[in-house]
Amino acid sequence: MQKDQRLLDLAALLLKAAEPVSWREIQEQFPEDYGGTGEAAIRKFERDKADLLELGIPVRYAAGDEDLPAGYLIDRDEFYLPDLKLPPEDLALLYLAGSAALAKRDFPYARDLAHALNKLSFAARAPGASEAAALAARHLSAEGEAAPDAVNRVEELSRAIAMKKRVRVAYLGAERRERTERDVDPYGLFQRGGAWFLAGWCHLRKDIRTFHLSRIESLSVNPAAPRTPDFQPRRDFSLAAFATRETWEYAKHAPVRCRVRLDPPVTAEVLASFGPRARVGEEGGATLVEVDATNGEGLLRHVLALGERAELLAPRTLREQARRILATLAEELS
Amino acid sequence: VSAHRRGGKAAPTASAVRKRKAVPARPAAARRPAAPRAAATRPDPRDRLRRVLFLVPYAVRHPGIPVRDLARRCGCSEKELLADLDFLLGVGSPPFAPDDFLDLYVEGDKVYVALHQSFSRPPRFTESEAAALAAAAQALGGEGRERAVKALRDSVPRDRRASFDELVGRIYAGAPPARDSVLGRLQRAIADRRAVRLDYHSASREADSERVVHPYTLAQRFGHWYLYGHDTARGKPLAFRLDRVRECAALPERFEPPTEAELGRSRLFSEQSGDKVRLRLGPSAAPWALSRAGIELVRRTEGGGAVVEVADASVEWGTRFALSLGGDAEVIAPPAARRHFVETVRRTLARYP
Repeated sequence: MQKDQRLLDLAALLLKAAEPVSWREIQEQFPEDYGGTGEAAIRKFERDKADLLELGIPVRYAAGDEDLPAGYLIDRDEFYLPDLKLPPEDLALLYLAGSAALAKRDFPYARDLAHALNKLSFAARAPGASEAAALAARHLSAEGEAAPDAVNRVEELSRAIAMKKRVRVAYLGAERRERTERDVDPYGLFQRGGAWFLAGWCHLRKDIRTFHLSRIESLSVNPAAPRTPDFQPRRDFSLAAFATRETWEYAKHAPVRCRVRLDPPVTAEVLASFGPRARVGEEGGATLVEVDATNGEGLLRHVLALGERAELLAPRTLREQARRILATLAEELS
Repeated sequence: VSAHRRGGKAAPTASAVRKRKAVPARPAAARRPAAPRAAATRPDPRDRLRRVLFLVPYAVRHPGIPVRDLARRCGCSEKELLADLDFLLGVGSPPFAPDDFLDLYVEGDKVYVALHQSFSRPPRFTESEAAALAAAAQALGGEGRERAVKALRDSVPRDRRASFDELVGRIYAGAPPARDSVLGRLQRAIADRRAVRLDYHSASREADSERVVHPYTLAQRFGHWYLYGHDTARGKPLAFRLDRVRECAALPERFEPPTEAELGRSRLFSEQSGDKVRLRLGPSAAPWALSRAGIELVRRTEGGGAVVEVADASVEWGTRFALSLGGDAEVIAPPAARRHFVETVRRTLARYP
């Protein structure tokens, strides 16, 4: 019997059964597949059971007691998708966020996301307007066709992250513009400014590094023992903390205290752009922002982008660098 | 045998009228697939299974759903869907009980699936389904996101919840863009089809204005969230960047939803939103800038630089973007954007005597 047929039949058999189904009964129902007495049949069944589990179908073995025989079963309560019992606005959140993410096509676990959105219509009594709004969100968020390569790469990486499999990447460095091959333990994927990055332990640099997905030229997942993890992420690693670092917080040099003056009116957006760790003060009507930078270059660029309303006060070297960049530009432009 | 099985052979032409045909139930061991399938092009059998586990309950709930609509819902082609229906005819576990039957047929281009008791609802979320949805929801934020993530976690089979927790920590789709309260109110208003009054900061005018909007949906573009809805004063649908919505209040007034076709034609930005901003990038800025969303390459220049264009950008945005590249970029067109860049450089330089 074909595998998909066998899996569905097996699920139907166990779902329908009033009590646990013994291994012998299962063998009788699937003589071609699990027949015989050998270990091979049991291993095949165990693999099918694992596949069903991955599909969200919880098959388990019950040891049996005076009332019930020993055997395999699927708890119906554990099988059927329950009503999420969410208020309409939370349901709208799931629909809208999920649809917009799906439209980009290079979202991690995109195929799973599509299944999840489908199932959502069963997990709510009345999705109502949210479902229609979600379709619109999908339409509006689509940015043309994402390159099939990029879509496949995210999909592969998603699996590698979930199964903790090591990957080998050929990576194109940004400034050095050179191609390097390295092994990476993929810890997670994060999005910043509309682009996706991989964070992971780099075996070449012996450190946690980030990789811009569009600069990964090729990728291969360690094919050995696909269900056995190759690594454990470091305990102190937090993807959210890593992803929300400001550019001047990248570890390039020892921390330097930097001061920036902002002329009024300072919008909330500008103030927020210095991140949650910035210290904000006031001096003669202007706003003073102080941050500790471990990548001064990042702060310099950020301040330059704010234009004439922002001025780097300290450290002196960074201020001098800002002046030099602007002077060179002004000269070229004249 | 008390099982009922009826099925029209699924032909790939949707217009063909199919008759109901009784398919006798056979013991599992004797069943064979209807036609041998090419092994090389055969996708992962689990994919089909996942699709079918959604397809059956969905078709049961929507009797007579057109093949095309069902295929779209399942995210597959019509041909694949018809093959799935064919596949379903061969499924059913022995021994057949009187209450367990699958009545499945395609008539005209409409699909009918009568109750198949075991698969009346789809299975719970797998940990990766729930985690992907949770990651997307966390990036949109709103005060409901904690509740939503918890509900998702609870709808994963019990012994997969630890995997769910771990996986959620492995995807970070971005920080929520706006203050939670605004977002929560917008979501509620969209779900209730209720008009909202926005206090909106327009970046091009550097001014706040009050708008009454029928909120249709939220969408993401170039890393930003937008509210898309009908601006009642301007009489047309517009996009509002979420991080510029200062305040938002739901009004008692309800609105008629736009049709799916209207929404299908809508765009986040209107075509005539001005010229594209054109920049010249040096060799160190070019690779970095080109890996960003929304930056179009016009041509490569000598030594590894590039000329690029950005659509839907204001002159202010062009200047900001060029300066953020640390002196390795300049705005070259259109003239207004060029002027703005040059003047900003001069005025900023004046701060560093």
